[in-house]
Amino acid sequence: MRLVRLVVTVGLVCSLWSGQAVQAADASVTPPSLPPIARLIIEPAVITLDGSGSLVTPLITGEVTADQQIDLTSRAKLESLSPTVFTVDTHGRLRGQDDGTGTLRISVAGKQLDVPIVARNMRLPRQFHFDNDILPILSKFSCNMSGCHGKAEGQAGFKLSVFGFDPRADHQALTQESRGRRINPVVPSASLLLTKASGGIPHGGGVRITKSSEEYRTLRDWIVAGMPYGSDETPRVVAVRVTPHERTLAMRDVQQLRVTARYSNGFEADVTHHARYQSNNEAVAKVDEFGLVTGGDVPGDVAIMAAYLGEVDVFRALVPRSELLTAQSSQPVLNLIDGHIDAKLSKLRIESSPLCSDADFVRRVYLDVIGTLPTASEAREFLASQDKDRRLKLVDALFQRPEFADYWALKWSDWLRVDRQALGHDGAYRYYKWIHDSFAKNVGLDQFAKELVAGQGLLADHPAGHFFKVVKDAGEMSSTLSQSLLGIRIDCAKCHHHPFDRWSQDDYYGMQAYFTGVRFKSTSRGEMLLASAGGVSQNPRSGLKIFAHPLGTSNPEAAPTGDPRLAFASWLVAADNPFFARNIVNRAWAHLLGRGIVEPLDDVRLTNPPSHPELLTALSKDFIDHKFDFRHLLKTIIASRTYQLSAAVTPTNTTDEQNFSRAVLRRLDAEVLLDAICQTTNIPEKFDGVPAGSRAIQLWDSQVPHYFLGIFGRPVRSTPCDCERAGTPNVSQVLHVLNSPEIQAKLTHDAGFLAELAQRPGLTDKQLIDELYLTFFSRYPSDPEQTTAEKYLQAQADKRQAAIEDLAWSMLNSLEFVFNH
Amino acid sequence: MPGRNYCDRISRRDCLQVGAALLPLGMGMSLSSLLQRQAAAADGGAAKDKDDVALIILFLKGGLSTIDTLDLKPNAPSEFRGEFKPISTNVSGIEVCEHLPLLARQADKFALLRNFAHTDSGHGAADHWMLTGYAPRAGFNPSLKPNNQFPAHGSVIAKKLGPRGSVPPYVCLPRMHNSGGAAYLGASVAPFVVEADPNAPNFAVPDLIPPLSISSDRLGNRQELLATVDRFRKSGESQANQAAKSLSTFQQKAFQLMTSAETRAAFDIAREPDALRDRYGRHSLGQSCLMARRLVEAGVRCVTIDHTNWDTHYDNFNVLKNDLLPHLDTGLTTLLQDLNERSLQRKTLVVVMGEFGRTPRVNKDAGRDHWGPSNCILLSGAGIKGGLVVGATNERGEKPAENPVGPADLSATMFDCLGINAQDEFHTPEGRPVKIAADGRILRELYA
Repeated sequence: MRLVRLVVTVGLVCSLWSGQAVQAADASVTPPSLPPIARLIIEPAVITLDGSGSLVTPLITGEVTADQQIDLTSRAKLESLSPTVFTVDTHGRLRGQDDGTGTLRISVAGKQLDVPIVARNMRLPRQFHFDNDILPILSKFSCNMSGCHGKAEGQAGFKLSVFGFDPRADHQALTQESRGRRINPVVPSASLLLTKASGGIPHGGGVRITKSSEEYRTLRDWIVAGMPYGSDETPRVVAVRVTPHERTLAMRDVQQLRVTARYSNGFEADVTHHARYQSNNEAVAKVDEFGLVTGGDVPGDVAIMAAYLGEVDVFRALVPRSELLTAQSSQPVLNLIDGHIDAKLSKLRIESSPLCSDADFVRRVYLDVIGTLPTASEAREFLASQDKDRRLKLVDALFQRPEFADYWALKWSDWLRVDRQALGHDGAYRYYKWIHDSFAKNVGLDQFAKELVAGQGLLADHPAGHFFKVVKDAGEMSSTLSQSLLGIRIDCAKCHHHPFDRWSQDDYYGMQAYFTGVRFKSTSRGEMLLASAGGVSQNPRSGLKIFAHPLGTSNPEAAPTGDPRLAFASWLVAADNPFFARNIVNRAWAHLLGRGIVEPLDDVRLTNPPSHPELLTALSKDFIDHKFDFRHLLKTIIASRTYQLSAAVTPTNTTDEQNFSRAVLRRLDAEVLLDAICQTTNIPEKFDGVPAGSRAIQLWDSQVPHYFLGIFGRPVRSTPCDCERAGTPNVSQVLHVLNSPEIQAKLTHDAGFLAELAQRPGLTDKQLIDELYLTFFSRYPSDPEQTTAEKYLQAQADKRQAAIEDLAWSMLNSLEFVFNH
Repeated sequence: MPGRNYCDRISRRDCLQVGAALLPLGMGMSLSSLLQRQAAAADGGAAKDKDDVALIILFLKGGLSTIDTLDLKPNAPSEFRGEFKPISTNVSGIEVCEHLPLLARQADKFALLRNFAHTDSGHGAADHWMLTGYAPRAGFNPSLKPNNQFPAHGSVIAKKLGPRGSVPPYVCLPRMHNSGGAAYLGASVAPFVVEADPNAPNFAVPDLIPPLSISSDRLGNRQELLATVDRFRKSGESQANQAAKSLSTFQQKAFQLMTSAETRAAFDIAREPDALRDRYGRHSLGQSCLMARRLVEAGVRCVTIDHTNWDTHYDNFNVLKNDLLPHLDTGLTTLLQDLNERSLQRKTLVVVMGEFGRTPRVNKDAGRDHWGPSNCILLSGAGIKGGLVVGATNERGEKPAENPVGPADLSATMFDCLGINAQDEFHTPEGRPVKIAADGRILRELYA
């Protein structure tokens, strides 16, 4: 184990060097694209090479102003003035050669800087540990991925545990299996491990590790050292940190990352060359295997994951548009939300769209809050209002509507899996009813969640307990609740360490243990949910007892006393719970803005960071401060200027769909769209098994057979994933609204709206057209629209009702109708 | 022709008139021929002499037990070989399962690829691999509809070759498999999905034609009206929005379909003689195969039949023997014969695959579980040599004895049969180049 001690915290600019910053000697040397550099900053501040295995990648940053720093690492020329003490390789990495002190000369941007280097412990034999030194190589080169030797049956007779979750077995596979033929201790470089990986012998996976590489050298030295597993006392990696953490990156510019691992004994080591890297948005920026990030052509922000031995950290780059904003128009800040959004947009040099019209607002807010179109008279009334608080007063009024609970019960029934096939008719209905009542009564979502996760007794009395019947075992209970209540997918960690997050199997089984005591008992009064004390499970790999404990905490000494779900519930709704409130806020936000602050909304990961972390924190705090009041949360978001932006594009925000610079067009949910068609034509739909007059958003059973709802992407609720509800268009949807007899029947029905309109006495064409536009589009027509429609009616004067139907048909098939905008 | 019903016994001439009426909107039939010409111009050259080959993929979802059907191991221990016995076929040396007696008499028409293997034994990911040639990457979510990270074969074909006539180039039936989507190739080459079972008594492609009460004049009026009423259609906000943009594309395609007599005729399965329908078998698989032939004949370039459920974890042998195999036997056999009788076999590639094979060792429930490492593929027509077996699995059917080939190789081969250069690249919307067939090798050993 070789460690580099960092005496000064990495990431801070060390005064030692700022004093030595040299003024530019010759400005003409500086490339034209590089602004004048005031000083150079070197990280780590003190470079110590400790042991023959240590490699250090210094980061060289040029400070232009206090606010602007530019990565110069890949531009800098590094030179060892003391080659007997240390050398520099082509990737800018320093390696110790012998104990002593030396000097590194850095030349870049017309500046030169000499940095002292200390090398020590170079003559001690390297103390290998399999987990710390060999596994990272197998991970970095994807040897143990599920597509290769990591899959269940191995590859070509050689099997590794996927992502290296079982290092003991991997060590065994390498050194013992196949009679040890993978390793040749006598001639280490003839070991299959090396010859296959480096292409000396044909390898299905191709050449992975070149002979000149650092990793080849490490593997060879480890074989020479006798392939030790290493001592149990060897410090383990407890965290990794990537520097810099955040940077603004110009399009097509580069940024070198530096990754340090912190060990259980407090030491830190440079692991830049061993970490795995991944970008979450390659269009904005990509990353190579050495941790060099390159900006792309699309503005936005990007998270680059650096993973090492199960620990991950993230570098976030903001890549702004190349052109500056010409005029910074100041837009009103309506509440705590807008400042956060504006700050990011201004960094990206994107100008947001203006406020939407009242007509846009009334339609949008009806659809978002109650899943229902405003009627013509509701729209007319709102558009006539002069009240300056009319927008927020409307929101308050909508909360009182019965459709509010209908719509939100539909949403939550997706997430909490109200599934008739699993629960039976009565059970599913009772479970749904509990959700519906909770939203109708505006129960705090903390209380709602507690009832859901910790209820006991007869299901008739505790309908929330049906949740535990939808899911089949303790593992599914915990992973479903994690996804729906915490927004976290922990399933990966059932079998191995989560590859893109910090969750280990202990985390998974710690959550699972909360639910191991759940069972059902038949009684004369129906089924009863019981939860015994317990709270213990077992890590199937280590065999260790795992006591129930929340995600992100360590395995405790004992299980909680009594029903461990009570402890889970208390943790969940505690003010300092890091996930629950944020998840609810994010779901509300995603619903209202068309995209989560974390997106997908139920995939919170260290490596999938929120686009606006401070905003998420501020909204969560506000939500908790208001006793988890869901209506308050919705209203807060709706009150922001951000929610009330127009969908019209500005010259600078056409490519932005991630930063809330304009309203995003969203196709109406299947049920909402069907109800909108029924409401506008005034011909209700009939559904099997529910009372006549029921609207689609009132359907508690997502499996009521219905062609329209099926093709428009109603979910089947087989998972808690929000993605089950598909909003993507397809040609069948289009054909259905264009041609289906069902839609045509609604347009032509004798008792329908259009027949009534055609016969309404004393109605001028203008009034009739206004009524159509208010009904379908919640707005008055523009003059040209009025003229077009009048002309159409006049040309078809002999078939007035048919002409009205045609107008209505074209409205139903318009993007303006099918989308919320 | 005021008052005349548009849809009832429409003449080709009427169609053309409607198409012409729509021309200013860019929705007429001429658009498809324009696209066709553009596509031909773009991809000319080597592709030309093969450009009328079509592809039918019969996807046996859940995973066909190939060790019980196309690659039996009669000499393996009983816990591997299972209950079924091999029978000889009309090609000496090739044997198939005793419960595929009709197919056995067509062995001269197909090749079996027995050294096929991949490494994913999970539904979803394996399906995606087989139906696109690409194993899914991190973040893959199989329950998305569609879940494609890479385009399905049909979308690639639609993109490279364009439509042929006025029928859609890529059709899925009787539903779209979740991995049947277009991914980054976009809405314009997404499949036309027939959400209906061709075996249903009143089978019709839902909503393909306007209600009978709408005359062709009125339909034309409506469409003109729609173009003016929909203020979002060409607006900045919908152009900047993927979902709105693709809806516009679909509306255009919908109008093309509605005005195409060929399309309507192709989907009218009732025009087939009862005797032939019976031969295919009056079940979903049989009638889907027949529909696929009709569609290919009408100009569709790729038909993907999603047939389920072959996931025989329990009671494998009874389920296969009593239910699944008789359907496969009549449906597939008649399809091969029918294509042959119509001299379409040279222009139609038929590929039968599941997402994986099944565990060679029979499990405790008399079933077999998922097994990627051995999965026999059946191919026929379009230059594939009949009466051929390529490769072999080991004595217990666990994996190819040597030279395994995989989904990328199969993709490359299918594209090659259709005259598409498998080495070509597409660019994702972000500009990332992606090869259309991974790095697959064209399996020329299958060719006649």
